[in-house]
Amino acid sequence: MIEVEALTRRYGDFTAIEGVSFSVGKGEVVGFLGPNGAGKSTTMRILCGCIGATSGHARVGGFDVLQRPHEVKRRVGYLPEVPPLYGNMVVEEYVAFAGRIKGAGKPREAAARAIERVGLSEVRGRVIDHLSKGFRQRVGLAQALVHDPDVLVLDEPTSGLDPAQRREIRELLLDLAAGERTVILSTHVLAEVEAVCERVVIINQGKVVSTARIADLAARRHNVRLRVQHPDDTLLQRLGAVEGVVGVKPFDEGLFEVEAVREVRAEVASQAVASGLLELSPLDSLEDSYLELTRGSGPDPRMMELPS
Amino acid sequence: MNAILAIARRELDSYFTSPLGWIALCGFVFITGFFFTFFLLQFNQYAVSAAFDPYGSEALDINEALLPMLFGNWAVVLMLMCPAVSMRIFSDDVRQKSFELLLSSPVGSGAIVMGKFLGAMGFLAVTFASTLYQPAVLYWLGAPDPGVLSGSYLSMMLYAACCIAIGMLASAFTQSQIISFMVSFATILVLYLLPWVVEGASSEWVSALGQLGMGAHIEEMAKGLVHTEDLVYFATFIGACLFATQQRVESFRWR
Repeated sequence: MIEVEALTRRYGDFTAIEGVSFSVGKGEVVGFLGPNGAGKSTTMRILCGCIGATSGHARVGGFDVLQRPHEVKRRVGYLPEVPPLYGNMVVEEYVAFAGRIKGAGKPREAAARAIERVGLSEVRGRVIDHLSKGFRQRVGLAQALVHDPDVLVLDEPTSGLDPAQRREIRELLLDLAAGERTVILSTHVLAEVEAVCERVVIINQGKVVSTARIADLAARRHNVRLRVQHPDDTLLQRLGAVEGVVGVKPFDEGLFEVEAVREVRAEVASQAVASGLLELSPLDSLEDSYLELTRGSGPDPRMMELPS
Repeated sequence: MNAILAIARRELDSYFTSPLGWIALCGFVFITGFFFTFFLLQFNQYAVSAAFDPYGSEALDINEALLPMLFGNWAVVLMLMCPAVSMRIFSDDVRQKSFELLLSSPVGSGAIVMGKFLGAMGFLAVTFASTLYQPAVLYWLGAPDPGVLSGSYLSMMLYAACCIAIGMLASAFTQSQIISFMVSFATILVLYLLPWVVEGASSEWVSALGQLGMGAHIEEMAKGLVHTEDLVYFATFIGACLFATQQRVESFRWR
Protein backbone atom coordinates (compact mmCIF):
# COMPACT_ATOMS: atom_id res chain seq x y z
CA MET A 1 0.00 0.00 0.00
CA ILE A 2 2.80 2.38 0.90
CA GLU A 3 6.26 2.16 -0.58
CA VAL A 4 8.96 4.57 0.41
CA GLU A 5 12.28 4.41 -1.41
CA ALA A 6 15.42 6.28 -0.49
CA LEU A 7 13.47 9.34 0.53
CA THR A 8 15.60 12.38 1.30
CA ARG A 9 14.49 15.82 2.34
CA ARG A 10 16.79 18.77 2.95
CA TYR A 11 15.92 22.19 4.32
CA GLY A 12 18.82 24.27 3.04
CA ASP A 13 21.88 22.74 4.66
CA PHE A 14 19.88 20.76 7.15
CA THR A 15 19.05 17.18 6.25
CA ALA A 16 15.79 16.18 7.89
CA ILE A 17 15.67 12.65 6.49
CA GLU A 18 18.12 10.75 4.37
CA GLY A 19 17.56 7.58 2.40
CA VAL A 20 14.46 6.52 4.28
CA SER A 21 13.00 3.30 2.85
CA PHE A 22 10.24 1.10 4.12
CA SER A 23 7.00 -0.38 2.95
CA VAL A 24 3.65 -0.99 4.52
CA GLY A 25 1.21 -3.62 3.36
CA LYS A 26 -2.54 -3.22 3.00
CA GLY A 27 -4.34 -3.31 6.32
CA GLU A 28 -1.16 -3.12 8.32
CA VAL A 29 -0.78 -0.88 11.36
CA VAL A 30 2.73 0.47 11.62
CA GLY A 31 4.23 2.54 14.39
CA PHE A 32 6.75 5.23 13.58
CA LEU A 33 9.08 5.54 16.49
CA GLY A 34 11.89 7.95 17.13
CA PRO A 35 13.07 10.83 19.28
CA ASN A 36 11.92 14.38 18.61
CA GLY A 37 13.48 15.75 15.46
CA ALA A 38 14.27 12.30 14.09
CA GLY A 39 12.35 12.98 10.90
CA LYS A 40 9.05 11.26 11.64
CA SER A 41 6.90 14.27 10.83
CA THR A 42 8.91 15.12 7.72
CA THR A 43 8.42 11.61 6.36
CA MET A 44 4.72 11.70 7.12
CA ARG A 45 4.23 15.12 5.55
CA ILE A 46 5.90 13.91 2.37
CA LEU A 47 3.64 10.85 2.32
CA CYS A 48 0.61 13.12 2.53
CA GLY A 49 1.85 15.46 -0.18
CA CYS A 50 2.12 18.44 2.15
CA ILE A 51 5.77 18.93 1.31
CA GLY A 52 8.02 17.71 -1.47
CA ALA A 53 11.00 15.40 -1.25
CA THR A 54 14.49 16.41 -2.31
CA SER A 55 15.03 12.99 -3.78
CA GLY A 56 13.62 9.48 -3.62
CA HIS A 57 10.12 8.17 -4.19
CA ALA A 58 7.05 7.60 -2.13
CA ARG A 59 4.05 5.74 -3.48
CA VAL A 60 0.66 5.31 -1.91
CA GLY A 61 -1.70 2.80 -3.48
CA GLY A 62 0.58 2.71 -6.53
CA PHE A 63 0.49 6.50 -7.09
CA ASP A 64 3.63 8.56 -6.81
CA VAL A 65 3.19 11.26 -4.19
CA LEU A 66 5.01 13.90 -6.22
CA GLN A 67 3.63 13.07 -9.65
CA ARG A 68 0.02 12.29 -8.77
CA PRO A 69 -0.51 14.18 -5.52
CA HIS A 70 -4.29 14.46 -5.91
CA GLU A 71 -4.73 10.71 -6.35
CA VAL A 72 -2.66 10.13 -3.24
CA LYS A 73 -4.45 12.76 -1.19
CA ARG A 74 -7.83 11.26 -2.05
CA ARG A 75 -6.64 8.01 -0.48
CA VAL A 76 -4.87 9.38 2.56
CA GLY A 77 -6.29 10.84 5.72
CA TYR A 78 -3.74 12.92 7.56
CA LEU A 79 -3.76 14.15 11.12
CA PRO A 80 -0.79 16.48 11.68
CA GLU A 81 0.86 16.95 15.04
CA VAL A 82 -1.24 20.07 15.60
CA PRO A 83 -4.77 19.29 14.37
CA PRO A 84 -5.51 21.61 11.42
CA LEU A 85 -8.65 23.13 12.87
CA TYR A 86 -10.54 26.32 12.12
CA GLY A 87 -11.29 27.30 15.69
CA ASN A 88 -14.27 29.52 14.98
CA MET A 89 -16.15 26.85 13.05
CA VAL A 90 -18.76 24.49 14.40
CA VAL A 91 -17.60 20.84 14.51
CA GLU A 92 -20.18 19.67 11.99
CA GLU A 93 -19.46 22.50 9.55
CA TYR A 94 -15.75 21.97 9.81
CA VAL A 95 -15.86 18.24 9.10
CA ALA A 96 -18.26 18.81 6.22
CA PHE A 97 -15.87 21.41 4.81
CA ALA A 98 -13.02 18.91 5.06
CA GLY A 99 -15.24 16.40 3.25
CA ARG A 100 -16.00 18.87 0.50
CA ILE A 101 -12.39 19.75 -0.28
CA LYS A 102 -11.30 16.14 0.00
CA GLY A 103 -13.89 15.15 -2.54
CA ALA A 104 -16.10 13.00 -0.32
CA GLY A 105 -19.43 12.28 -2.01
CA LYS A 106 -22.29 13.82 -0.02
CA PRO A 107 -20.06 15.75 2.39
CA ARG A 108 -22.76 16.28 5.04
CA GLU A 109 -23.52 12.59 5.37
CA ALA A 110 -19.83 11.71 5.27
CA ALA A 111 -19.23 14.25 8.03
CA ALA A 112 -22.05 12.82 10.13
CA ARG A 113 -20.55 9.35 9.77
CA ALA A 114 -17.04 10.50 10.69
CA ILE A 115 -18.36 12.43 13.69
CA GLU A 116 -20.28 9.39 14.85
CA ARG A 117 -17.23 7.21 14.32
CA VAL A 118 -14.92 9.25 16.55
CA GLY A 119 -17.58 9.78 19.20
CA LEU A 120 -18.22 13.48 18.71
CA SER A 121 -21.98 13.31 18.29
CA GLU A 122 -22.73 15.14 21.51
CA VAL A 123 -20.56 18.15 20.60
CA ARG A 124 -21.24 18.29 16.87
CA GLY A 125 -22.99 21.65 17.17
CA ARG A 126 -20.29 23.32 19.24
CA VAL A 127 -17.58 25.75 18.23
CA ILE A 128 -14.22 23.99 17.98
CA ASP A 129 -12.40 26.61 20.06
CA HIS A 130 -14.65 25.77 23.01
CA LEU A 131 -13.73 22.09 23.04
CA SER A 132 -11.22 20.31 25.28
CA LYS A 133 -7.95 19.11 23.85
CA GLY A 134 -9.13 15.52 23.68
CA PHE A 135 -12.20 16.50 21.70
CA ARG A 136 -10.16 18.70 19.41
CA GLN A 137 -7.94 15.75 18.69
CA ARG A 138 -11.04 13.77 17.78
CA VAL A 139 -12.19 16.54 15.46
CA GLY A 140 -8.78 16.23 13.81
CA LEU A 141 -9.36 12.50 13.44
CA ALA A 142 -12.83 13.07 12.00
CA GLN A 143 -11.27 15.39 9.43
CA ALA A 144 -8.77 12.67 8.47
CA LEU A 145 -11.53 10.06 8.19
CA VAL A 146 -14.22 12.02 6.44
CA HIS A 147 -13.42 10.87 2.91
CA ASP A 148 -13.08 7.25 4.06
CA PRO A 149 -9.40 6.95 3.10
CA ASP A 150 -7.56 3.67 2.60
CA VAL A 151 -4.58 5.01 4.49
CA LEU A 152 -4.49 6.94 7.73
CA VAL A 153 -1.36 8.88 8.63
CA LEU A 154 -1.44 10.09 12.21
CA ASP A 155 1.31 12.24 13.62
CA GLU A 156 1.46 11.79 17.39
CA PRO A 157 -2.28 11.40 17.81
CA THR A 158 -2.03 11.16 21.60
CA SER A 159 0.54 13.83 22.40
CA GLY A 160 -0.50 16.37 24.98
CA LEU A 161 -3.50 14.38 26.17
CA ASP A 162 -4.11 13.22 29.70
CA PRO A 163 -3.92 9.46 30.40
CA ALA A 164 -7.68 8.95 30.18
CA GLN A 165 -7.95 10.80 26.86
CA ARG A 166 -4.91 8.96 25.58
CA ARG A 167 -6.55 5.68 26.35
CA GLU A 168 -9.74 6.73 24.58
CA ILE A 169 -7.84 7.76 21.47
CA ARG A 170 -5.87 4.53 21.57
CA GLU A 171 -9.06 2.50 21.69
CA LEU A 172 -10.42 4.56 18.85
CA LEU A 173 -7.28 3.84 16.83
CA LEU A 174 -7.63 0.11 17.43
CA ASP A 175 -11.19 0.38 16.22
CA LEU A 176 -10.18 2.33 13.11
CA ALA A 177 -7.32 -0.01 12.34
CA ALA A 178 -9.59 -3.03 12.32
CA GLY A 179 -10.41 -4.04 8.78
CA GLU A 180 -8.74 -3.09 5.54
CA ARG A 181 -7.44 0.28 6.55
CA THR A 182 -3.70 0.89 6.57
CA VAL A 183 -2.48 3.03 9.43
CA ILE A 184 0.83 4.73 10.09
CA LEU A 185 1.14 6.47 13.39
CA SER A 186 4.06 8.20 14.96
CA THR A 187 4.60 8.44 18.65
CA HIS A 188 7.25 8.37 21.27
CA VAL A 189 5.09 6.49 23.72
CA LEU A 190 6.32 2.93 23.46
CA ALA A 191 3.35 1.37 25.19
CA GLU A 192 1.15 2.82 22.49
CA VAL A 193 3.08 1.16 19.72
CA GLU A 194 2.83 -2.16 21.49
CA ALA A 195 -0.86 -1.74 22.10
CA VAL A 196 -1.84 -0.67 18.61
CA CYS A 197 0.77 -1.61 16.04
CA GLU A 198 1.77 -4.81 14.32
CA ARG A 199 5.07 -3.49 13.16
CA VAL A 200 7.43 -0.74 14.14
CA VAL A 201 9.77 1.43 12.09
CA ILE A 202 12.39 3.06 14.27
CA ILE A 203 13.87 6.21 12.84
CA ASN A 204 16.74 8.20 14.25
CA GLN A 205 18.57 11.27 12.97
CA GLY A 206 16.78 11.05 9.65
CA LYS A 207 17.49 7.39 8.98
CA VAL A 208 15.56 4.18 9.46
CA VAL A 209 17.54 2.21 12.01
CA SER A 210 15.24 -0.75 12.40
CA THR A 211 11.99 -2.28 11.31
CA ALA A 212 10.63 -5.17 13.29
CA ARG A 213 7.38 -6.96 14.01
CA ILE A 214 6.03 -6.35 17.47
CA ALA A 215 5.33 -10.08 17.73
CA ASP A 216 9.02 -10.84 17.14
CA LEU A 217 10.00 -8.34 19.76
CA ALA A 218 7.48 -9.82 22.18
CA ALA A 219 8.94 -13.27 21.66
CA ARG A 220 12.10 -12.01 23.20
CA ARG A 221 10.15 -10.64 26.10
CA HIS A 222 11.31 -13.36 28.49
CA ASN A 223 14.62 -11.70 29.13
CA VAL A 224 15.13 -10.70 32.75
CA ARG A 225 17.46 -8.46 34.65
CA LEU A 226 18.52 -9.33 38.18
CA ARG A 227 20.71 -7.93 40.89
CA VAL A 228 22.28 -10.05 43.62
CA GLN A 229 24.20 -9.18 46.75
CA HIS A 230 27.04 -11.73 46.38
CA PRO A 231 27.79 -12.40 42.76
CA ASP A 232 30.05 -15.38 42.04
CA ASP A 233 30.99 -17.56 39.11
CA THR A 234 28.83 -20.47 40.19
CA LEU A 235 25.75 -18.30 39.90
CA LEU A 236 26.61 -17.70 36.27
CA GLN A 237 26.80 -21.46 35.68
CA ARG A 238 23.65 -22.17 37.66
CA LEU A 239 21.69 -19.55 35.71
CA GLY A 240 23.06 -20.87 32.45
CA ALA A 241 21.85 -24.33 33.34
CA VAL A 242 18.21 -23.24 33.66
CA GLU A 243 16.17 -24.66 30.79
CA GLY A 244 15.30 -21.98 28.24
CA VAL A 245 18.15 -19.65 29.13
CA VAL A 246 20.32 -18.97 26.12
CA GLY A 247 22.73 -16.44 27.56
CA VAL A 248 23.75 -14.65 30.73
CA LYS A 249 25.55 -11.31 30.71
CA PRO A 250 27.20 -10.22 33.96
CA PHE A 251 27.57 -6.49 34.66
CA ASP A 252 29.10 -4.50 37.52
CA GLU A 253 27.72 -4.52 41.06
CA GLY A 254 26.02 -7.88 40.84
CA LEU A 255 23.82 -7.00 37.89
CA PHE A 256 22.97 -9.75 35.39
CA GLU A 257 20.93 -9.88 32.24
CA VAL A 258 19.49 -13.24 31.38
CA GLU A 259 18.39 -13.92 27.83
CA ALA A 260 15.70 -16.58 27.66
CA VAL A 261 13.33 -18.10 25.12
CA ARG A 262 10.62 -18.99 27.62
CA GLU A 263 9.27 -17.80 30.96
CA VAL A 264 12.17 -18.44 33.37
CA ARG A 265 11.63 -15.99 36.20
CA ALA A 266 10.71 -18.57 38.86
CA GLU A 267 13.72 -20.80 38.17
CA VAL A 268 16.11 -17.88 37.87
CA ALA A 269 14.84 -16.54 41.17
CA SER A 270 15.30 -19.83 42.99
CA GLN A 271 18.87 -20.08 41.69
CA ALA A 272 19.67 -16.50 42.61
CA VAL A 273 18.23 -16.54 46.11
CA ALA A 274 21.33 -18.36 47.39
CA SER A 275 23.46 -15.43 46.20
CA GLY A 276 21.27 -12.88 47.91
CA LEU A 277 18.69 -11.82 45.30
CA LEU A 278 17.91 -8.10 45.53
CA GLU A 279 15.76 -7.52 42.50
CA LEU A 280 14.43 -9.31 39.49
CA SER A 281 12.62 -7.61 36.64
CA PRO A 282 11.54 -8.48 33.14
CA LEU A 283 13.35 -6.61 30.38
CA ASP A 284 11.16 -4.70 28.02
CA SER A 285 12.56 -5.71 24.70
CA LEU A 286 10.93 -2.92 22.66
CA GLU A 287 12.10 -0.24 25.01
CA ASP A 288 15.57 -1.75 25.12
CA SER A 289 15.98 -2.00 21.41
CA TYR A 290 14.54 1.46 20.98
CA LEU A 291 16.96 2.98 23.44
CA GLU A 292 19.86 1.10 21.97
CA LEU A 293 19.01 2.19 18.44
CA THR A 294 18.44 5.83 19.24
CA ARG A 295 21.17 6.21 21.80
CA GLY A 296 22.85 9.57 22.15
CA SER A 297 20.06 11.65 20.72
CA GLY A 298 17.47 13.54 22.61
CA PRO A 299 16.17 12.96 26.10
CA ASP A 300 15.26 9.58 27.53
CA PRO A 301 11.94 8.53 25.97
CA ARG A 302 10.82 7.16 29.29
CA MET A 303 10.83 10.68 30.59
CA MET A 304 8.68 11.84 27.73
CA GLU A 305 5.85 9.55 28.71
CA LEU A 306 5.00 11.93 31.50
CA PRO A 307 2.22 14.32 30.51
CA SER A 308 3.81 17.66 29.78
CA MET B 1 -14.62 23.63 -8.84
CA ASN B 2 -16.53 22.30 -5.84
CA ALA B 3 -13.40 22.67 -3.78
CA ILE B 4 -12.97 26.31 -4.88
CA LEU B 5 -16.55 27.06 -3.87
CA ALA B 6 -16.14 25.21 -0.57
CA ILE B 7 -13.02 27.22 0.25
CA ALA B 8 -14.72 30.47 -0.82
CA ARG B 9 -17.74 29.65 1.30
CA ARG B 10 -15.64 28.85 4.36
CA GLU B 11 -13.63 32.02 3.86
CA LEU B 12 -16.79 34.11 3.58
CA ASP B 13 -18.31 32.46 6.66
CA SER B 14 -15.14 33.09 8.62
CA TYR B 15 -15.68 36.86 8.30
CA PHE B 16 -19.03 36.54 9.96
CA THR B 17 -17.82 34.31 12.78
CA SER B 18 -15.01 36.65 13.77
CA PRO B 19 -15.14 40.15 15.24
CA LEU B 20 -12.78 41.38 12.50
CA GLY B 21 -15.35 40.80 9.78
CA TRP B 22 -18.12 42.55 11.64
CA ILE B 23 -15.91 45.48 12.57
CA ALA B 24 -14.80 45.87 8.95
CA LEU B 25 -18.37 45.63 7.68
CA CYS B 26 -19.88 47.99 10.24
CA GLY B 27 -16.94 50.35 10.05
CA PHE B 28 -17.30 50.66 6.30
CA VAL B 29 -21.05 51.14 6.39
CA PHE B 30 -20.76 53.68 9.19
CA ILE B 31 -17.95 55.75 7.65
CA THR B 32 -19.47 55.81 4.17
CA GLY B 33 -22.82 56.61 5.76
CA PHE B 34 -21.22 59.50 7.59
CA PHE B 35 -19.70 60.87 4.38
CA PHE B 36 -22.99 60.35 2.57
CA THR B 37 -24.89 62.41 5.12
CA PHE B 38 -22.19 65.07 5.24
CA PHE B 39 -21.92 65.53 1.48
CA LEU B 40 -25.64 65.34 1.00
CA LEU B 41 -26.22 68.19 3.45
CA GLN B 42 -23.39 70.17 1.92
CA PHE B 43 -24.76 69.59 -1.56
CA ASN B 44 -28.17 70.70 -0.39
CA GLN B 45 -26.72 73.91 0.99
CA TYR B 46 -24.88 74.71 -2.24
CA ALA B 47 -27.90 73.79 -4.32
CA VAL B 48 -30.14 76.13 -2.33
CA SER B 49 -27.70 79.02 -2.51
CA ALA B 50 -27.19 78.38 -6.22
CA ALA B 51 -30.95 78.52 -6.77
CA PHE B 52 -31.15 81.93 -5.13
CA ASP B 53 -28.09 83.27 -6.91
CA PRO B 54 -29.33 86.33 -8.79
CA TYR B 55 -26.58 85.98 -11.37
CA GLY B 56 -28.09 82.62 -12.29
CA SER B 57 -25.21 80.23 -11.99
CA GLU B 58 -25.96 76.79 -13.33
CA ALA B 59 -27.96 74.40 -11.20
CA LEU B 60 -25.80 71.82 -9.40
CA ASP B 61 -25.82 68.35 -10.92
CA ILE B 62 -25.99 65.48 -8.48
CA ASN B 63 -23.91 63.32 -10.82
CA GLU B 64 -21.09 65.81 -11.05
CA ALA B 65 -21.13 67.53 -7.71
CA LEU B 66 -22.11 64.77 -5.30
CA LEU B 67 -21.27 61.29 -6.55
CA PRO B 68 -17.55 61.81 -7.31
CA MET B 69 -17.09 63.25 -3.83
CA LEU B 70 -18.80 60.24 -2.28
CA PHE B 71 -16.94 57.53 -4.13
CA GLY B 72 -13.64 59.37 -3.91
CA ASN B 73 -13.90 58.87 -0.18
CA TRP B 74 -14.78 55.22 -0.60
CA ALA B 75 -11.41 54.68 -2.25
CA VAL B 76 -9.64 56.01 0.83
CA VAL B 77 -11.75 53.96 3.24
CA LEU B 78 -11.20 50.84 1.16
CA MET B 79 -7.47 51.49 1.27
CA LEU B 80 -7.65 50.73 4.98
CA MET B 81 -10.43 48.20 4.94
CA CYS B 82 -9.13 45.87 2.24
CA PRO B 83 -5.78 45.19 3.96
CA ALA B 84 -7.73 44.50 7.16
CA VAL B 85 -9.91 42.03 5.30
CA SER B 86 -7.06 40.33 3.47
CA MET B 87 -4.35 40.34 6.15
CA ARG B 88 -5.46 37.11 7.77
CA ILE B 89 -6.21 35.13 4.62
CA PHE B 90 -2.93 33.20 4.59
CA SER B 91 -1.08 34.55 7.63
CA ASP B 92 -3.58 33.24 10.12
CA ASP B 93 -4.21 29.99 8.30
CA VAL B 94 -0.52 29.14 8.22
CA ARG B 95 0.12 30.28 11.78
CA GLN B 96 -2.81 28.28 13.19
CA LYS B 97 -1.59 25.27 11.20
CA SER B 98 -5.05 24.90 9.69
CA PHE B 99 -3.37 25.35 6.31
CA GLU B 100 -2.20 21.74 6.57
CA LEU B 101 -5.79 20.71 5.94
CA LEU B 102 -5.72 22.46 2.56
CA LEU B 103 -2.23 21.17 1.77
CA SER B 104 -3.20 17.57 2.50
CA SER B 105 -6.41 17.79 0.46
CA PRO B 106 -6.64 17.05 -3.26
CA VAL B 107 -6.81 20.75 -4.09
CA GLY B 108 -4.22 22.59 -6.17
CA SER B 109 -2.60 25.80 -5.00
CA GLY B 110 -4.44 27.70 -7.73
CA ALA B 111 -7.78 26.51 -6.38
CA ILE B 112 -6.79 27.49 -2.85
CA VAL B 113 -5.87 31.02 -3.94
CA MET B 114 -8.95 31.37 -6.13
CA GLY B 115 -11.26 30.10 -3.39
CA LYS B 116 -9.87 32.46 -0.81
CA PHE B 117 -9.99 35.39 -3.24
CA LEU B 118 -13.62 34.71 -4.10
CA GLY B 119 -14.45 34.40 -0.41
CA ALA B 120 -12.94 37.80 0.34
CA MET B 121 -14.69 39.31 -2.69
CA GLY B 122 -17.95 37.81 -1.46
CA PHE B 123 -17.43 39.61 1.81
CA LEU B 124 -16.82 42.88 -0.03
CA ALA B 125 -19.94 42.29 -2.11
CA VAL B 126 -21.95 41.95 1.11
CA THR B 127 -20.33 45.13 2.42
CA PHE B 128 -21.10 47.04 -0.77
CA ALA B 129 -24.64 45.73 -0.76
CA SER B 130 -25.10 47.18 2.73
CA THR B 131 -24.53 50.66 1.29
CA LEU B 132 -27.24 50.40 -1.35
CA TYR B 133 -29.56 52.50 0.78
CA GLN B 134 -27.48 55.48 -0.39
CA PRO B 135 -28.48 55.28 -4.06
CA ALA B 136 -32.02 54.56 -2.88
CA VAL B 137 -32.06 57.82 -0.94
CA LEU B 138 -30.62 59.66 -3.97
CA TYR B 139 -33.36 58.27 -6.22
CA TRP B 140 -35.91 59.35 -3.69
CA LEU B 141 -34.54 62.91 -3.54
CA GLY B 142 -33.48 63.38 -7.13
CA ALA B 143 -32.56 61.69 -10.33
CA PRO B 144 -29.02 60.37 -10.32
CA ASP B 145 -27.70 58.85 -13.54
CA PRO B 146 -27.80 55.04 -13.23
CA GLY B 147 -24.72 54.85 -15.47
CA VAL B 148 -22.68 57.01 -13.13
CA LEU B 149 -23.93 55.10 -10.11
CA SER B 150 -23.28 51.62 -11.46
CA GLY B 151 -19.99 52.76 -12.99
CA SER B 152 -18.92 54.07 -9.61
CA TYR B 153 -19.88 50.85 -7.88
CA LEU B 154 -18.11 48.80 -10.53
CA SER B 155 -14.94 50.89 -10.30
CA MET B 156 -14.91 50.56 -6.51
CA MET B 157 -15.45 46.80 -6.72
CA LEU B 158 -12.56 46.41 -9.16
CA TYR B 159 -10.38 48.72 -7.12
CA ALA B 160 -11.20 46.72 -3.97
CA ALA B 161 -10.43 43.48 -5.86
CA CYS B 162 -6.96 44.89 -6.66
CA CYS B 163 -6.47 45.80 -3.01
CA ILE B 164 -7.53 42.33 -1.87
CA ALA B 165 -5.22 40.70 -4.42
CA ILE B 166 -2.29 42.80 -3.16
CA GLY B 167 -3.26 41.97 0.41
CA MET B 168 -3.41 38.24 -0.31
CA LEU B 169 0.04 38.33 -1.83
CA ALA B 170 1.40 40.12 1.24
CA SER B 171 -0.45 37.70 3.51
CA ALA B 172 1.14 34.70 1.80
CA PHE B 173 4.57 36.01 2.71
CA THR B 174 4.21 36.40 6.44
CA GLN B 175 2.55 34.74 9.38
CA SER B 176 2.13 38.12 11.03
CA GLN B 177 -1.16 39.83 10.28
CA ILE B 178 0.24 43.22 11.28
CA ILE B 179 3.10 42.99 8.80
CA SER B 180 0.70 41.78 6.16
CA PHE B 181 -1.57 44.77 6.84
CA MET B 182 1.24 47.35 6.78
CA VAL B 183 2.82 46.05 3.60
CA SER B 184 -0.42 45.88 1.68
CA PHE B 185 -1.58 49.28 2.93
CA ALA B 186 1.71 50.91 1.89
CA THR B 187 1.59 49.24 -1.51
CA ILE B 188 -1.99 50.27 -2.18
CA LEU B 189 -1.30 53.84 -1.02
CA VAL B 190 1.68 54.22 -3.35
CA LEU B 191 -0.18 52.70 -6.29
CA TYR B 192 -3.22 54.85 -5.65
CA LEU B 193 -1.24 58.06 -5.45
CA LEU B 194 1.04 57.24 -8.37
CA PRO B 195 -0.96 59.13 -11.04
CA TRP B 196 -0.82 62.33 -8.95
CA VAL B 197 2.82 61.88 -8.07
CA VAL B 198 3.91 61.71 -11.69
CA GLU B 199 1.49 64.39 -12.85
CA GLY B 200 3.20 67.11 -14.85
CA ALA B 201 6.39 65.15 -15.17
CA SER B 202 8.41 66.24 -18.19
CA SER B 203 9.42 62.75 -19.25
CA GLU B 204 6.84 60.67 -21.05
CA TRP B 205 8.19 57.56 -19.40
CA VAL B 206 7.57 58.93 -15.96
CA SER B 207 4.04 59.99 -16.76
CA ALA B 208 3.37 56.60 -18.28
CA LEU B 209 4.21 55.21 -14.88
CA GLY B 210 1.05 56.84 -13.63
CA GLN B 211 -0.96 54.36 -15.64
CA LEU B 212 0.26 51.63 -13.32
CA GLY B 213 -1.72 53.19 -10.49
CA MET B 214 -5.34 52.29 -9.89
CA GLY B 215 -6.45 55.91 -9.65
CA ALA B 216 -5.92 56.49 -13.37
CA HIS B 217 -8.36 53.72 -14.26
CA ILE B 218 -11.08 54.57 -11.80
CA GLU B 219 -11.78 58.11 -12.98
CA GLU B 220 -13.48 57.44 -16.30
CA MET B 221 -15.36 54.42 -15.02
CA ALA B 222 -16.74 56.47 -12.14
CA LYS B 223 -18.27 58.77 -14.76
CA GLY B 224 -20.06 55.78 -16.20
CA LEU B 225 -17.61 55.30 -19.07
CA VAL B 226 -16.37 51.73 -19.00
CA HIS B 227 -13.33 51.50 -21.29
CA THR B 228 -11.91 48.18 -22.37
CA GLU B 229 -8.39 49.29 -21.51
CA ASP B 230 -9.40 49.94 -17.92
CA LEU B 231 -11.02 46.52 -17.64
CA VAL B 232 -7.89 44.97 -19.14
CA TYR B 233 -5.79 46.87 -16.62
CA PHE B 234 -7.81 45.55 -13.68
CA ALA B 235 -7.91 42.00 -15.00
CA THR B 236 -4.15 42.02 -15.58
CA PHE B 237 -3.41 43.56 -12.23
CA ILE B 238 -5.58 41.13 -10.26
CA GLY B 239 -4.42 38.17 -12.35
CA ALA B 240 -0.75 39.02 -11.78
CA CYS B 241 -1.19 39.32 -8.01
CA LEU B 242 -3.15 36.08 -7.79
CA PHE B 243 -0.60 34.28 -9.94
CA ALA B 244 2.24 35.48 -7.71
CA THR B 245 0.25 34.35 -4.67
CA GLN B 246 -0.32 30.95 -6.24
CA GLN B 247 3.41 30.60 -6.90
CA ARG B 248 4.11 31.50 -3.31
CA VAL B 249 1.59 28.97 -1.99
CA GLU B 250 3.05 26.30 -4.25
CA SER B 251 6.46 27.05 -2.77
CA PHE B 252 5.15 26.19 0.72
CA ARG B 253 5.73 22.58 -0.23
CA TRP B 254 9.40 23.27 -0.74
CA ARG B 255 10.24 25.46 2.19
